[in-house]
Amino acid sequence: MNPRRSISSNPASTVKSRFTNGFLKALLRINRQRITSTTAYTPREIFRGYLRVKIAADVSMASAIGSRRAWSRAMLRKVRSHGRDGAQVRRMSFLAMRKRNLYGKKIKCVEEDVGCYQANVLRKLVPGGAAMDMCCLLGETAHYIKCLNTQVKVMRRIAEVFST
Amino acid sequence: MDGHENEDVGFQHGGEDNLHCPSLGMSTNPLPEKISGMIMSPVSMYKPSNGADPFFSSGWDPLASLSQNENFGGSSTVSHSEFANPPYPNALENQGTSSTCQLVRYPSNSSFVELVQKLPCFGSGSFSEMANSFGLPDCGQIANSGCPQNYASLKEVGTGITSTNGVLSRDDPQISCEGAVGSSPNAKRRKRASDSKNSPIAHQNAEGELQKDLSRESSDVLKEPDEKKPKIEHSKGSNLRGKQMGKQAKDTSSGDASRENYIHVRARRGQATNSHSLAERVRREKISERMRLLQELVPGCNKITGKAVMLDEIINYVQSLQQQVEFLSMKLATVNPELNIDIEQILSKDIINSRGGAGAILGFAPGMSSSHRYPHGIFQGTFPSIPSTTPKYPLLHQTVLDNELQNLFQVGFNSCPAVENLGSNGNLKPEFQ
Repeated sequence: MNPRRSISSNPASTVKSRFTNGFLKALLRINRQRITSTTAYTPREIFRGYLRVKIAADVSMASAIGSRRAWSRAMLRKVRSHGRDGAQVRRMSFLAMRKRNLYGKKIKCVEEDVGCYQANVLRKLVPGGAAMDMCCLLGETAHYIKCLNTQVKVMRRIAEVFST
Repeated sequence: MDGHENEDVGFQHGGEDNLHCPSLGMSTNPLPEKISGMIMSPVSMYKPSNGADPFFSSGWDPLASLSQNENFGGSSTVSHSEFANPPYPNALENQGTSSTCQLVRYPSNSSFVELVQKLPCFGSGSFSEMANSFGLPDCGQIANSGCPQNYASLKEVGTGITSTNGVLSRDDPQISCEGAVGSSPNAKRRKRASDSKNSPIAHQNAEGELQKDLSRESSDVLKEPDEKKPKIEHSKGSNLRGKQMGKQAKDTSSGDASRENYIHVRARRGQATNSHSLAERVRREKISERMRLLQELVPGCNKITGKAVMLDEIINYVQSLQQQVEFLSMKLATVNPELNIDIEQILSKDIINSRGGAGAILGFAPGMSSSHRYPHGIFQGTFPSIPSTTPKYPLLHQTVLDNELQNLFQVGFNSCPAVENLGSNGNLKPEFQ
């Protein structure tokens, strides 16, 4: 834990800076791809471009966090397995495991206090939340919210600059 | 998941107080700076609210929130009511424009004032550590500078300790500070009554005098199980006062003990001493702590008491943030910038270092002459050296915020015709089949 903090005390390697750098690089790469290919403004192309940017944003954010948090690990895992077709089988078993956990939590929920329904919704929202208990889920949610805020800030700033 | 408890990003016992530190420590200081930052915020957020997202458009009036924010200035404790009305986008932009920690935004009520004033107790090193781990190295220094000013008012906090302080009171320095200074009238009372019974125990406790005081209270932490019975009997009369310190004591001790990999939890009076129910209670305390943390992160949730409503708010907030990310990525996908690698580096530096949302002219064509970019008086003597640094942009001019935002509206809207075709459900995907 301490070495990690001393690394992050270097201002060049804060989460925000890492995300910014990674995201900008990905954006430039996407733009170069777009320029080389046909710049068709059909809705389909626009949607594909949007998906690429969104995935780039998520991946660069998760990479900036690294493996420290469960949600970043889960997000990276999801994106990587998305790109590989061979992971279909693995994903199925993964889903089955998740379902089991979800049901396990649901059954337990009846005895617990209020908030089971919302907890399940939150689990779907936060990446990797399905396999967490309430306590960890809340912790991950808090960190995820902070990182989302950073992401939105940086992206908004980039959009401002690009638009001028 | 105990693994999470040792993560540096602070949601564990030792870290949670640090988590609050930078945010609350700064809330008194940089408030005047926020005003200018907030003025730009509703304007720049106009686009997302027009972006067919029902959540954003729910009763949000940029001008109304702007006028609200202009009144923000004077007090350090105002915040909450001001932020209650503007929904998330406005608040997010506030975060974006002012330079400080993401945590800073929403100090809510008087309990937060107490928390702010309690912060100086924390080790100053922990400030910069936590602040840096959230990507804002300036936070630590600002928070540290804010400490001495708040320290004098710490004594006033004493009697007002609420259960929210239990979240903060985890570290030893914190505890010793509290014991020494904070809650001085309480401390005296506690000391007098506890002398007889707690002296054998106090020696064995790392937390020293505070532990001695707290163990006299009805609740929680005790390291010697033998002493439980006399303690319970003694604590009858002090139940009322004890309950105030109860959670705090339990949290401190459980936070302290958890470092030893096990938790000593003491049964409160009238509660079952079953190991299951004790574990259950510990779990519930953890969950309520995290809920409090989340309450600070999510804007406008300070009034909310109740887990279900709070969870609803959290869910809405996460959804809105995700939609904002989607929206911005759509915008970035359609905008076509003329960039090269140099501009990328400068842009990244600008974004990382930007505080308060000051604009920067980065639309220079690469071939622009260098003479425009340098301040007049400075480089007269060193003119020959200037051309060697031409590729870099050492000076970023700062534009007037309003002009840039007007440009943003006009140009940004026009360049993204596809964006405006989004349906009203805010869900981008079905539109493009």
